[in-house]
Amino acid sequence: MKEHQESAVDKLWRIFSSMKLGLVLLGVIAFFAGIGTLFPQMDVDPDKAQAVGKLWQTLGFTNLYGTYWFRLLLGLLCINLIICSIQRFQGIYNRTFKLNPPENSSVIPKKVQETWQGDGESLRKSVQDVLRHRGFRVVFAEKDKQWGFTAIKRRWGNWGSFISHVSFVVLVIGAVIGSSLGFKGFLMAGTGTTVPIHSIQVSRGTVKETFDVLINSAEDRMLANGQRDNWYTDLSILQNGKVMARHTISVNHPFTYQGVTFYQSSFINGVHLTADVKGQKIPVTLEDRGGNYFNAPGTDLYLVASAINSDSQKPSMLFEVFKGMSEDAVQSGQLDFGQTIDIQGAYKLTLDGNSGYTGLQVKQDPGVMIIWLGCALLLLGLILSFYWRPILVSGIFQAEKDNRGELTMGVSTGKVVGGVKEVFDRLVGEIRAN
Amino acid sequence: MNLGLQNLESSAFYVTVMAYILCMMLYWVWIGIKKDLIGSLATYIAALGLIANTAAIVIRMVISGHPPLSNGYEFLLTFVWGIMAVYLYIEYRYKLKSLGAFVMPIPVLLLMFIIMSMGPEERVAQAIPPALKSQWLTFHVVTAMLAYGAFAISFGLGIMYLLKLKEEGRGWEAKPQGIIARFPDLETLDELSYKVIGFAFPLLTLCIITGAIWANYAWGTYWSWDPKETWSLITWIIYAAYLHARLMYGWKGKRAAWMAVLGFAAVLFTFFGVNYFLPGLHSYAQ
Repeated sequence: MKEHQESAVDKLWRIFSSMKLGLVLLGVIAFFAGIGTLFPQMDVDPDKAQAVGKLWQTLGFTNLYGTYWFRLLLGLLCINLIICSIQRFQGIYNRTFKLNPPENSSVIPKKVQETWQGDGESLRKSVQDVLRHRGFRVVFAEKDKQWGFTAIKRRWGNWGSFISHVSFVVLVIGAVIGSSLGFKGFLMAGTGTTVPIHSIQVSRGTVKETFDVLINSAEDRMLANGQRDNWYTDLSILQNGKVMARHTISVNHPFTYQGVTFYQSSFINGVHLTADVKGQKIPVTLEDRGGNYFNAPGTDLYLVASAINSDSQKPSMLFEVFKGMSEDAVQSGQLDFGQTIDIQGAYKLTLDGNSGYTGLQVKQDPGVMIIWLGCALLLLGLILSFYWRPILVSGIFQAEKDNRGELTMGVSTGKVVGGVKEVFDRLVGEIRAN
Repeated sequence: MNLGLQNLESSAFYVTVMAYILCMMLYWVWIGIKKDLIGSLATYIAALGLIANTAAIVIRMVISGHPPLSNGYEFLLTFVWGIMAVYLYIEYRYKLKSLGAFVMPIPVLLLMFIIMSMGPEERVAQAIPPALKSQWLTFHVVTAMLAYGAFAISFGLGIMYLLKLKEEGRGWEAKPQGIIARFPDLETLDELSYKVIGFAFPLLTLCIITGAIWANYAWGTYWSWDPKETWSLITWIIYAAYLHARLMYGWKGKRAAWMAVLGFAAVLFTFFGVNYFLPGLHSYAQ
């Protein structure tokens, strides 16, 4: 029974150590990833995604990248990469750090090889001097009247492929950590608003932090030529009412506090007003296009800003007032900067000025540094693979008479010959001339 | 002064178009009659076109105040620059003039696309949205431009390989003076295609990585399976498969040539297909 189980494990190991399987998985992943771009996805366009046929929705095509089977494909690829890497590790290690000089000429690479006669001592010295001068690590071994050598240059290039493949595993680990831990959310708030971090709209994860976010100001800044510069939000982090940090963020310039990062995502114009309800002054901020409303206390009146002119000198707004659940406005009009109007005899409203509503993406992703590590490893691996290719030269001297004999020297070309022969010919020329 | 610079940019653009069309025709003539003068003229005019292309890009930068990488017109202009720069280097380094006949149609077609499908308002320098104001954007698009340019070269080499292979299959020895018979030998074409892809692949990887870094700074998400991101990954996978198949299974020759052609088709879809047919964060062309 145990033998049968081992055989099944061996079989699984053999399957997963196959590069062919890796290529097949890559192809399948690429195919379905492409299909996913043709279907509207739920997290981007939920309305269109829900309009797609039920069968496609059931199969997961409208949430393709989050389906279990797509993640399973990625997981299988990850396993394949891990097993392939383990399988190849020892060979790469030996080729880098445990080079053995050849013991007979049959193991000297034949594709690019040279043979010539000479004196053993002077040839050995010449080989050593030239190869070391050219940056090779040379290892000699002697046996009877013959000696052999192996020389390698740019040996770390052997690790390029291994590092590249391991980098994918690191990337997947980073992605898994990021999606399992931390959170992703969004907040939209006006100037002067304090938002407890745990109250933000969360799309993934749970917020464990307890600090508050105070929006000191939100600005849609324009350049002198009338073009938009950027959106700026001056925010403070409050803990128990005390300011712990303050920073101005803008698009492409986020701010991180205790692992939580705030990204400037959007901006909506708004106005700030003062409502005088029976002598009580209430500050009000309203978003453009009816993004929010003001319900005066003790009334069933709902006031919205249907349009805002955000001119910094003369802001104004168009407003509508609704009573209860009625769809028809009971009052509408324009309110200019500094102007006060009466709302249905219940209260007075004064426009005090502009107020920005800032939209911030809020995210905690413990996996992002692992992602950057994976990216760095991937680049390192590719640089080593393409631009730091090792050159392995080996040779054997067989003495014939006195100390004269024949030196056979060759260079390993791997699957790519180009350029190696030129280097080899130059080395041989220098050794013979030395 | 701005109007003057805009007129200068427009002039540089049209000089680029005319130079590239002219050198394309000269390469075609050269490959037919093999007169050295025609070949040299083709190369000089290609270089002149590249200088005009560079001028158009630099003037655009001066006018807009940012690298010309923020809309379809600007990117196509720099993509074309990337193709020409890589091509002229390959021609100089490997003395492979016949490649010009196969590569030149690509920048010419891209410029024709600009002229026929983009109105003047699309070609005027415009304000860029805040999300595009990032140094990472520059790295991201420059690496894309060079990688895509090199893939266009490998596409040309793949086409040449397949044509020559087909001729050899027909017994081209009967027409030793024929155009295709005078291409470099199959091994040279195949080896050069591999070298060009070997140059481009790390650049494409860097393009994807810098894009992820930029996205993380701008939106807090380094990867969102946006159509552009996904198709650039698919392109990357195709070329990764090419390299694996070549290095591990000895896939050379015809199969490698077809993969180089398929890979460039993916490059074209990554740019055009996504920008014009699929919505997403990269829909700056829309």
